[in-house]
Amino acid sequence: MQLVLQIVANGLLIGGLYALLAVGLTLIFGVLRVVNFAHAEFMMLGMYGAYWLWSIYGLDPYISVFLVTPVIFLLGVAVDRLIIQRSIGKPDVTVVFATLGLSIFLQNAVLTLWTADIRSVSTFATGSVFVVGGVRLSVAMTISFAAAMLFALGLWFFLTKTMYGKGIQAVAQNRRAAALMGIDVKRAYLITYSVAVAAAGAMGVLVAPIFTIFPRVGQTQIVTIFVIVVLGGLGSVPGAVIAALLVGIIRSGAGFMFGTAWGELAYFAVFLLVLIVRPQGLFGRRGAEVYGG
Amino acid sequence: MRINDPTPIPPAASRIIGAAALVLLLFVPLVIRDIYWIDMGITILIWASLATAWNISGGFAGGLSLGHAAFFGVGAYTSTLLFLRLGITPWIGIFVGAVLAGLLGALLGVITFRLKGPFFVLATLAFGIVIHIINVNWRGLTRGAAGLLLPFRGGPQNMLFLNLWAYWYVALGLLVLTVGISAAIERSRLGYFLVALREDEDAARSLGVRVVRSKVVAAATSAALAACVGSVYAAFIQYIDPDSTTQFELSVQIALVAIVGGMGTTFGPLLGAAIVIPLGEILRARLGGGAALVVYGILLMVIVLTAPNGAIAGVRMLVRRVRLFIDSRRKADA
Repeated sequence: MQLVLQIVANGLLIGGLYALLAVGLTLIFGVLRVVNFAHAEFMMLGMYGAYWLWSIYGLDPYISVFLVTPVIFLLGVAVDRLIIQRSIGKPDVTVVFATLGLSIFLQNAVLTLWTADIRSVSTFATGSVFVVGGVRLSVAMTISFAAAMLFALGLWFFLTKTMYGKGIQAVAQNRRAAALMGIDVKRAYLITYSVAVAAAGAMGVLVAPIFTIFPRVGQTQIVTIFVIVVLGGLGSVPGAVIAALLVGIIRSGAGFMFGTAWGELAYFAVFLLVLIVRPQGLFGRRGAEVYGG
Repeated sequence: MRINDPTPIPPAASRIIGAAALVLLLFVPLVIRDIYWIDMGITILIWASLATAWNISGGFAGGLSLGHAAFFGVGAYTSTLLFLRLGITPWIGIFVGAVLAGLLGALLGVITFRLKGPFFVLATLAFGIVIHIINVNWRGLTRGAAGLLLPFRGGPQNMLFLNLWAYWYVALGLLVLTVGISAAIERSRLGYFLVALREDEDAARSLGVRVVRSKVVAAATSAALAACVGSVYAAFIQYIDPDSTTQFELSVQIALVAIVGGMGTTFGPLLGAAIVIPLGEILRARLGGGAALVVYGILLMVIVLTAPNGAIAGVRMLVRRVRLFIDSRRKADA
C-alpha cells in the first residue's frame, strides 16, 4: 500500500509538470489547428535560460522564471509572426513540417552554440525530501509542481475570465463565426501561440533543478506530450490536465513493474490504440479529428 | 490544396530526360575516381530511392509519414540477420525484408486510413517509435545498441563487393526499380485514384474510388521499397544499429528529401536527394553535425512556407520558359 501511494505520488508530481506543457500544445491545436512539433524546444530554451542565469548570476530558478518566461513569450510572438501565421490555411505538409523544421533548427542551434554537454542546476531544495504519511516527496519536485499548478490556474483564469481569453475560446469553437463577431482572429492566434510557448518555457525553468539539461532534452519529452494531448483529446484543455496526471501515474507504475524501456513501449501502444479507436481522445470534441490540419 | 504544379513536364520530355540521365549515370564510374565522391554518389542514389519510396504513400496519396525509418530498418535487419544467422544471401534476404515490411505497411495502412492530417502523422510517428524501441530492446535478436557487423564473406553472391563501384551499380539498379514502380503507379489507375483521394477524399469516394484498397496498396508498396533500400544500405555500410536505421531523425530526413525536391512527382525526390545529401555532407565536413542540421531546419521551413511544391516546380517553370522561347523563335522564323 505504501508502495502504491509512493508510485502514485511520484506520478502525480511528474504529471503535473507535464500538464503545463500539454495544456499549451493542446491549446495551440484547438485554436490554430497547428500541431506544434517545436513545443518542447521552448521548454529546452527555458531550461537553458534557468541554467545560464543560475551559473552566471547565481539566480535561483524560482526567481529567474519571472525573467525567462517573458523572453520566451516574445520569442513566441516572433515565431508566430514569421512561421506560424504563414503556415495557417496551407496544405498539411506546410503545417506539419514548418514546426518540425523549427524544432530541428532550435535543437541544433543550441547544440552548436552551447555544445552537447549535460548541465544541471542545483538549488537549496536539491536532494532534500520530506515525508508525508510515510510517502517520501522531493522538495524540488513539489515546489515545481505547485508553481506549475499556479501557472496552469493563471492560464485557466486568463482563458475564462478575460476578454482576450474568451475571444480565443470563440476562435477555437468556430474561427469564421468569431471573425464575424468582430474578434481579431490573427491576434487570437498570436496570443494563444505566445502564451502557450511561454508556459512551456516556464515549465522548462521549473524543471531545470530536476531534469538534466542538454540540447535534445525537448525531443525526449515531446512524444510523451503528444501521448498526453491525444489521450486527453487534441484541443481539450481539461482533458490535457487529466491525461497528464494519468500518464504520469501510468509511467511511474509501468516503469516500476516492467522497467523503463518496455514500460515506454506499453504506453506508445496505448497511444496508437487511442488514435485508431478514438481519435478524439477521452475528452475531445467529437469530430475534432476530421478538421485536422 | 493543390500540391502539383499545374504545368507538369510532358511525359515524352520526361522520358527523354530520364533516359539521358540514366545513360549519364551508367558512365559516371568511368569519369570519377575519387573515393570521397564515389561514396557521396552512392549515398545520393540510396537516398533518392528511399525518398521515392516515401513519395508513393507520402506524395501521391498525401499520407505524410514520419515513421518510414521503421520499414527501412526492417529491410536492413531482415537481410542482415538472415545472412548472419542462416547464411542466406542478401539477394534473397532483400525480398524477404520487402515482403515483411510490405505486410507491416499494409497493417499500418489498414489501421490508419481513416486518420487525417496531424492525426495520421502522429500515428506513423508512434508506429516508428514502437519499432525503434523494439529494435533497441530486443537484444536477443538485434543485439540492441551494439548493432550488427556484416563480416566480409563471399563476395558478389552475397552482395558484398571489394570494388566500391559495384555498389554504385547496385544502388543505380535499385533506383531504376523504385523510380520505375513509382512512375508506373503515377500513370496507372491507382495513381489517379491516390491523387483524387489526396485532393478530396469524399468526392473521390463518391465517384467510386476504392479508398481503403488504394491507400493500403500504396502504403504496402512504399514500405516494401523502403525495406529494399534498407537491405542495400546494410550491404553497403556493412554495419547497422538502431540509431542508423530506425531512429526518428531518419524518418524526418526521408520526408525532408522528398519535400525539398517536390513531393507528389516522380522526379522530385531524386532532385531532393541530389540537393540535400551533398549539402548535408559538405556542411557536416565544414561546420560539424549540429550546424548541418541547423541548415536542414531552415531549409525545411523555407521550402514548406515559400515553395511547398519543392525544387521540381522551379525546374518545371524553367522547362516551360525554354519551350515558350523555342516556340516564339519558330514563329518569328516563319
